[in-house]
Amino acid sequence: MKLLFQKLCLPLIAVVLVMMAALVTQAQDPRIQTASLDHLAAKASQTVDVNIDERLIRLAAKLLSDKGDEKEVKELVTGIKGIYVKSFEFDADGQYTPADIESIRSQLRAPSWSRLLNVSSKKEGSLEVYVLLNGEVIGGLAVIAAEQREFTVVNIVGPVDINKLAKLQGEFGVPELGIEPKQAKPKNDQ
Amino acid sequence: MKTTRIKALALLSLVFVLSPAVVHAKGDDFKSVVKLIEQFYGVKHQGIPFLAKAGMKVATTAAKIKGGTAKRLAEAGSVRVAFFEDQTFDGDFTRFRTSLNTALTQTWTPLIQTFSATDDEQVYIFVREANDKYNVLVITIEQREATVVQVTLSAKNFLLLLKDPEGTGKSITQEATIIDQE
Repeated sequence: MKLLFQKLCLPLIAVVLVMMAALVTQAQDPRIQTASLDHLAAKASQTVDVNIDERLIRLAAKLLSDKGDEKEVKELVTGIKGIYVKSFEFDADGQYTPADIESIRSQLRAPSWSRLLNVSSKKEGSLEVYVLLNGEVIGGLAVIAAEQREFTVVNIVGPVDINKLAKLQGEFGVPELGIEPKQAKPKNDQ
Repeated sequence: MKTTRIKALALLSLVFVLSPAVVHAKGDDFKSVVKLIEQFYGVKHQGIPFLAKAGMKVATTAAKIKGGTAKRLAEAGSVRVAFFEDQTFDGDFTRFRTSLNTALTQTWTPLIQTFSATDDEQVYIFVREANDKYNVLVITIEQREATVVQVTLSAKNFLLLLKDPEGTGKSITQEATIIDQE
């Protein structure tokens, strides 16, 4: 009996432990998988797929100057390990399904990921911003922008300054997401 | 003996049938990409001499961008271009994308890939380091024509590409294929 337990249960326990470890690792991965969306390319009128990996980011950080606007962008991208964008535009409504959104959202679960922003309107669609927290440090960011005829997923791997996120719009293939730059607090003259 | 010969023939046929999908980019990746397009779409590229015969002059390192002042993105002498003109590019672009990525991703990084069903256009930009400069491969496939351009960029111009991959990618192709009729 004991031998049977050893023969059957121990390998099973080992497999379960390996699977759990894999799930934990997957849950904490700041890089989200977007291959499940590839089928939308056949329906989309426009598909954009941007991959800027750590090597290219480091290079960009090295090449950006320490003056003017570039300085801010340089500060923002320094330390980032990747920018990945997948965006689809459609000619008709209803070309992507809630299941497509869920395939991304399901990777952004607590406790590792926290939803920072969720704006939804019938007319303009929804915008969700998620951050991956490694302790108190942001380890990654994901944006899901779902409009009637547009579906965009942005994934930034590595530490991101949320307050400066808006600065990345229009840079490095990141589309305009409608994220407003944080307004500086007015100085109190008194 | 006969069975062995049949097996060998069958194997050879299989290799021949599968070859369009498995053109691996070893050595000259530019040529491999041109060959992949030819095999996948059943088309034939034209080199610069062909266009020259048609009375057009192609600047290999174009010095102008439409409507702009003199500006050069590519390093002098670094441009390689292959044209496919007035041919049909029918085929499942998702399969072509897979074949292309398989062929190139060992040595190149895919920077941006865009597909427009409206304009029937596919654009692929791959990059790689080349000492202190950067090689950029831009592949554009439309309904009736395609272009493969490989250029070398300085670090400064490569930064432009990273900051605006789509726009700079188009400029690279425009520069390399600009027809100077002056």
